[in-house]
Amino acid sequence: MAFNSVRYILVQGLVSLKRNVWLSLASILTVAVSLILLGSSIIFLANTSTIAKTFESQVQIAVFLDDKLNDGQVTAIQNRIKNLPGIESVTLTTKEQALWDFQESMSTTSLLEDLGGINPFPDKITIVATDPKLVQGIASQVEKISGVESVRYGQGILEKLLAFTNWLRWIGVAVVAAFAFAALLLISLSIKTNVNSREKEIQIMRLVGASNSFVRWPFIIEGLVVGLIGALIAVAAVGFAYTWLLQYIISSLAFIPVVASQQFLLMVFIIMILGGMLMGTLASVISVRKFLRF
Amino acid sequence: MIKLRNVSKIYPNGARALIGVNLKIAKGEFVFLVGPSGAGKSTLIKLLYREEIATRGQVLINNVNLVRLKNSQIPALRRNMGVIFQDFKLLPNKTVFENVAFALQVIGKNKKEVKESTLTVLDLVGLSSKVNAFPAELSGGEQQRVCVARALVNRPGILIADEPTGNLDVDTAWGIVDLLDKINKYGTTVVMATHALQIVEQMNKRVVRVEGGKIIEDKAEEEVRLGI
Repeated sequence: MAFNSVRYILVQGLVSLKRNVWLSLASILTVAVSLILLGSSIIFLANTSTIAKTFESQVQIAVFLDDKLNDGQVTAIQNRIKNLPGIESVTLTTKEQALWDFQESMSTTSLLEDLGGINPFPDKITIVATDPKLVQGIASQVEKISGVESVRYGQGILEKLLAFTNWLRWIGVAVVAAFAFAALLLISLSIKTNVNSREKEIQIMRLVGASNSFVRWPFIIEGLVVGLIGALIAVAAVGFAYTWLLQYIISSLAFIPVVASQQFLLMVFIIMILGGMLMGTLASVISVRKFLRF
Repeated sequence: MIKLRNVSKIYPNGARALIGVNLKIAKGEFVFLVGPSGAGKSTLIKLLYREEIATRGQVLINNVNLVRLKNSQIPALRRNMGVIFQDFKLLPNKTVFENVAFALQVIGKNKKEVKESTLTVLDLVGLSSKVNAFPAELSGGEQQRVCVARALVNRPGILIADEPTGNLDVDTAWGIVDLLDKINKYGTTVVMATHALQIVEQMNKRVVRVEGGKIIEDKAEEEVRLGI
């Protein structure tokens, strides 16, 4: 397309934005809100899944052994567990090691003497499963082995966490979809108002042989600009909010694993910007096609 | 230049606007299309600039069949064609110059071409002094002249006029018809649908009479002049 046409189309697209300032603003804000929701849910989901993964990898089965077993019996139990299906690793922590570790953590050197010469720690076998879902089955099998005194794992907590994040994920998707739809409607409305107010102009343009794309492009530019401005507002809002939140979490809730990589944020922002431009363009294409029998 | 072969037009509501129409218009002709309201004149005109599509038959312009024309090819057709209407269709918020220049801008002409062609054609229709006026400041006849200018600015081979004098008094109407005649003498084919029988009688041009969707009379220029 010739330079003259490109200039004309750009100017027309921006002029019609100006003509319907309030409708344009409403469209921009709706795009911004829906993209803020989209961006926050992506960030939220990334974080919950990181948290879930961290918890999952921390799910271990602790097997405490009977105090009276000798070394050979302990090794035998260890071997039996190793042969169960779905075992990632089996680590033995002897009672001596446990006492040593505890003494270390207490910064003392005379713990055994303080305890009157009796080591209260049992031998402990730590099992990591290949899949957190197998934990329950493994635990119940291990419980049946003689010489095993008790078996502990984070019973029930993991399941609840996963169900909760799954539920949040669906709510997030629904809310984002609803707002994206609202944004589409508002942009379409704004474009339709412009198409209406320029119906005669469009009629004449077609009459004198303006190409279809020539008629359509100003509206697409308009939608694109609305989407882009909305997206930039959303990116700024989400960017500032998340940076602030990250600083707060890292400084005072350091045990929560957060996603702070620049690359991840950049990806979210790019998705938001592309999403905004897509919404704007889509709304324009739909509303113009309806009006101009092309 | 223009050929209609056995053309029928039936609207979706079942109205039969044209039935088996055959018509040939040569390059450079001036043809009046007459007949009562609802006879099918407007439909015939609309078929020529592809606002409507014939239900049956062929509508050929420069050997291109408009019935088979793709939507994307319409702009090319219309760039070789000027159309004027009874209700002018001017943009009220644009000046005379801008209204005419608009037709060139939207087909991508550069600034210099737009200015030159627009001023030339406004001179041709006698509106050089009203270049910066808005349509509301003009008389009906002047507004129609702007439309003629807009239709001609792209130097089309065909000018189509649908009741161009319908809103004008007799003297003003004559002004427009004289203008169209002048344009015709420069070589543009003119097809004009009209009710103004007085004008038709005095112009000595070919007259095609449409009634009930059919051509019931087609008097050549010679016959009209000789009063046959």
